[in-house]
Amino acid sequence: MSSPAVAKEAVVIAATGERKPWLRPGELGGMLMLVPYILVFAAFVLYPVLYGLWLARHPASYATLIADPIFLRTVVNTLVFLVIAINVKMVLALLLSGFFMTPRWWIKVLALIFILPWALPSIPTILSVRFMLNPEWGIVNSTIFRLTLEDGPNWLNDPRLALTLAMLVHIWKALPFWTVILTAGRLAIPTELYEAAAIDGASAWQRFRFITWPSTRTLYLTCTLLSTIWTLGDFNSVYLLTGGGPADLTHVLATLGIRYLRLDQVDLYMAAVVCALPFVLPLVYFMTKRLSR
Amino acid sequence: MAVVAIREVRKKFGSAEVIHGVSIDIADGEFVVLVGPSGCGKSTLLRTIAGLEEISGGEIAIGDRVVNDLPPKQRDIAMVFQNYALYPHMTVAENMGFSLRLRGASKKEIETRVRPAAEILGLLPLLDRYPRQLSGGQRQRVAMGRAIVRNPQVFLFDEPLSNLDAKLRVQMRTEIKELHQRLKTTTIYVTHDQVEAMTMADKIVVMRDGVVEQVGAPLDLYDRPENLFVASFIGSPAMNVLEGRIAQDGSATFVTSAGAVLPLAHAPQGSAGRAAVYGIRPEHIGLANDGVSAEVVVVEPTGAEIQVFARIKGEEINAVFRERHRFASGDAIRLAPDPAQVHLFDSQTGRRIEGADPDQTLGEERRLEKTT
Ligand SMILES: Nc1ncnc2c1ncn2[C@@H]1O[C@H](COP(=O)(O)OP(=O)(O)OP(=O)(O)O)[C@@H](O)[C@H]1O
Ligand SMILES: [Mg+2]
Repeated sequence: MSSPAVAKEAVVIAATGERKPWLRPGELGGMLMLVPYILVFAAFVLYPVLYGLWLARHPASYATLIADPIFLRTVVNTLVFLVIAINVKMVLALLLSGFFMTPRWWIKVLALIFILPWALPSIPTILSVRFMLNPEWGIVNSTIFRLTLEDGPNWLNDPRLALTLAMLVHIWKALPFWTVILTAGRLAIPTELYEAAAIDGASAWQRFRFITWPSTRTLYLTCTLLSTIWTLGDFNSVYLLTGGGPADLTHVLATLGIRYLRLDQVDLYMAAVVCALPFVLPLVYFMTKRLSR
Repeated sequence: MAVVAIREVRKKFGSAEVIHGVSIDIADGEFVVLVGPSGCGKSTLLRTIAGLEEISGGEIAIGDRVVNDLPPKQRDIAMVFQNYALYPHMTVAENMGFSLRLRGASKKEIETRVRPAAEILGLLPLLDRYPRQLSGGQRQRVAMGRAIVRNPQVFLFDEPLSNLDAKLRVQMRTEIKELHQRLKTTTIYVTHDQVEAMTMADKIVVMRDGVVEQVGAPLDLYDRPENLFVASFIGSPAMNVLEGRIAQDGSATFVTSAGAVLPLAHAPQGSAGRAAVYGIRPEHIGLANDGVSAEVVVVEPTGAEIQVFARIKGEEINAVFRERHRFASGDAIRLAPDPAQVHLFDSQTGRRIEGADPDQTLGEERRLEKTT
């Protein structure tokens, strides 16, 4: 572009920048339509968030928080939960999406059953898992006893086992959703590509590697990000199963607040929530960036 | 290069049979075009040859191997799809070299195979581009390049030109033909465009509803269509067909159901009074003082020729003249079909009635009598 053109454009930008009014006449009606939304947003999002930040304004709260060994344990738990549960879940979802794409009638039936854990409400389903794992009268241990005449493990009393089970519950419950999303993404890949590859001599693995994966990679990463954000906020899988126990050793950031609420330490509760922000905000940022591309 | 033999091939989707026993023999290096209206099973047949669909009956042989149970990659064929099916995440060069890469060829070997193919197709400047950065015609070339690089026994094309505009289509038609003359690879080409079929093929296979209607060289199909379907399918503009009966009072004529009298060179023996269909191509109709009177309806000059839509006793007839006549709608003209170019068809079966044109021997009467 020649320099006069650049200059001219700059002038135009400057000029419009100066003169651009806050509201053009025609826009007033549109803005009025937004008012109810803005009011709702202010009342139910902005006010609570600001109030929470105000409650968590004392640096002393954070010092107390960090000094609490349970807090450190919680941060570690959260990281373990995120890294393991999400990746296992997404890889399983990717594998299963390939399976559910096979056009067979019985696979459709299977898909319907498979979707159930996701469709059912959390509280009854997770609580019933908890009952099943009860060491004395739960169905799991009574079955183990009947088969081996020995007592099964005390599932929820071992922090590692309990956290693993919480991850399993999380995976079991969220897997159908991500499988459906990835299946939809894979169904959008033109079948001719696979046919061309079959003629070119690609094996099943090579078809996955050279066609499926390049086409689903973006979707897969976006799903992983989104799933990370949601998993950070997943209160149910942990709290309903272990209640944070034994001895508050299986908390994650999403459930830790409850501990402080029980102890009547509202400021610590809020500080714990604020501590999740360094995890959440970059993820939200990447997410919106991806989506607005 | 290889011969391809298709013997009594049937294909069922569930309980619906869409290919009803098709047999075609394709010679080594031949360019065969499968043509027919939409839904007649051309693509399905091509896909069975490629191994993308299993056949429900019959046999397909490529070279001296029966390939019925071989997967596509072992059939040594290359296919060009209608929408090209280029791998979107690979560059032009990677697309073209993909099959070699899968076979474990070295980078250098791939390069030495891809370059000449790219050169033939004029793709050298585009080797590093991605498919989305190419125009339709360029994508088409890449798809062909991908096929050429493999140096297969047989090329399969499924309507490769149908996504291109008319001008590019004509150009690519010539390029594909040239390519075939150069590589001499056996080619099976599917299209629903009879002009493409006529201009490109060594041999045309006309299909309808899953059966082969006629197989032959383009001009054979044009000169001697075996039935009404082939007659009206091959040739553009399409052949005029008029119903009526054969008459013989002194010389042979044909009387249409509306009562117009049209000339015949020769009526097959014993066919007087027989119901039949009269076929005459627009380009075989002239003007003559003793012609059949007709009324001009529409005149369409294209420059090289004039197409005239006229009515003979209320029946539409279409004629093409290379001379410039100044006709106007409503004019009365006298049309003279060339008797030597008339085709007669049985009005029930639609089959060609042999012996109507003077060169033919009259050997078919027995069969004709049976059908009437
Ligand atoms: N996968 C399939 N399942 C069921 N029926 C099919 C399938 N593929 C094709 N058919 C049917 O087989 C018949 C032939 O289809 P085909 O695609 O071969 O037609 P075509 O001659 O290539 O037509 P076109 O010129 O429109 O491409 C059609 O009636 C079609 O509905
Ligand atoms: Mg087709």
